[in-house]
Amino acid sequence: MKKIASTGTKGGVGKSTFAILLAFKLSKNKRVVLCDCDVECPNDYLILNQKLKNPENIYQDYPVLDKKRCVKCGICSKTCKENAIFWVKDKYPIFIYDLCTNCGACVIVCPNKAIKTKREKSGESFVNKVNDNFWLITGRSKPGITETGPIVSEVKERAIKFAKKKKVDYIILDTAPGTHCSVIQALLNVDKAYAVTEPTPLGAHDLSLILELIKKIKVPAEIILNKADVGNRELIEKIAKKFKTKISIEIPYSEKLVKAYCEKDLRRVAKLI
Amino acid sequence: MKIAVSASGESLDSNVDPRFGRCPYFIIVDTEDNKIKSHEVVTNEAVQAMRGAGIQAAQTVANKGAKVVITGNIGPNAFNVLSQTGIKVFTGVSGKVDEALKKYLKGELKESTKSSF
Repeated sequence: MKKIASTGTKGGVGKSTFAILLAFKLSKNKRVVLCDCDVECPNDYLILNQKLKNPENIYQDYPVLDKKRCVKCGICSKTCKENAIFWVKDKYPIFIYDLCTNCGACVIVCPNKAIKTKREKSGESFVNKVNDNFWLITGRSKPGITETGPIVSEVKERAIKFAKKKKVDYIILDTAPGTHCSVIQALLNVDKAYAVTEPTPLGAHDLSLILELIKKIKVPAEIILNKADVGNRELIEKIAKKFKTKISIEIPYSEKLVKAYCEKDLRRVAKLI
Repeated sequence: MKIAVSASGESLDSNVDPRFGRCPYFIIVDTEDNKIKSHEVVTNEAVQAMRGAGIQAAQTVANKGAKVVITGNIGPNAFNVLSQTGIKVFTGVSGKVDEALKKYLKGELKESTKSSF
């Protein structure tokens, strides 16, 4: 089973389109799971004309203070790398769940075992059967949750488990745009990451950010250049050379393609590429 | 009583910084009988925080013993922890730091009941 990611730092360059088309094409003679890891606003299901099915909750552990045990030492606050624990001398620490990544460090370092955890729902995962060879697994965070890395990690785990059960050949992970926790979680341990970009100054700048991240987590990468015939191609070639990364697929700009995409006519999109 | 003002510079005639969590400095003044007795300039380390700058900045002013915060805008996380610690917050303030302090001491500023956004 191969794990392939479609990623990029810039939004709107065609990450999801590429991921879906790849899954669509592979499903003609292979078994494929597409995992939508853009959990803050998953949209692969919309493009695939699906209604999300088979929901399953995702939970996370948040710290809770046992005031009877707490001696107001502040070690938890000093340990927290996310600034998620507010502490002032002689006062009880205050946990800010919005910033908590559920790493559990505060629970471990507390010398008086004053920090317990409570489970709270942070998101959902869904399973849709698109065709006999193609399943879509979608992750969706609960509105208001700002730290989505742990949700992506859980959805990915479920997708891998599901794929093993269904004896799938490929898992395609469609990441959120960016280089933050959520993207890193999706990219860890993939067999190949396709960095999707466009030939614009911002496209080039953001390509270098994602390739830098991909290099750090030691994943093989290739570049997909969308709208390859408009803008300035040299900008992308320069970055590709710097990172010794191949531009493996080029997709020309086409108004017909945009139209087919907006009309959710995937077969027509696939034919046009 | 100590008052913390988010500031763009290191002196009393610098501007009130519109940001609380990521302002470069806090000017912390000590008042007595409604007059400024002394002031201290604190560099805001939270400027460099990846996340949670507001929380870190709130910790800085609270640990300096401030009972009042004067700033332009403040986020919900910082506002909530400051309120829970019993620190009064005044937002929507601009202009020079010393002028803002004069206004506060004359009772012309209105205490905020919620964060700026």
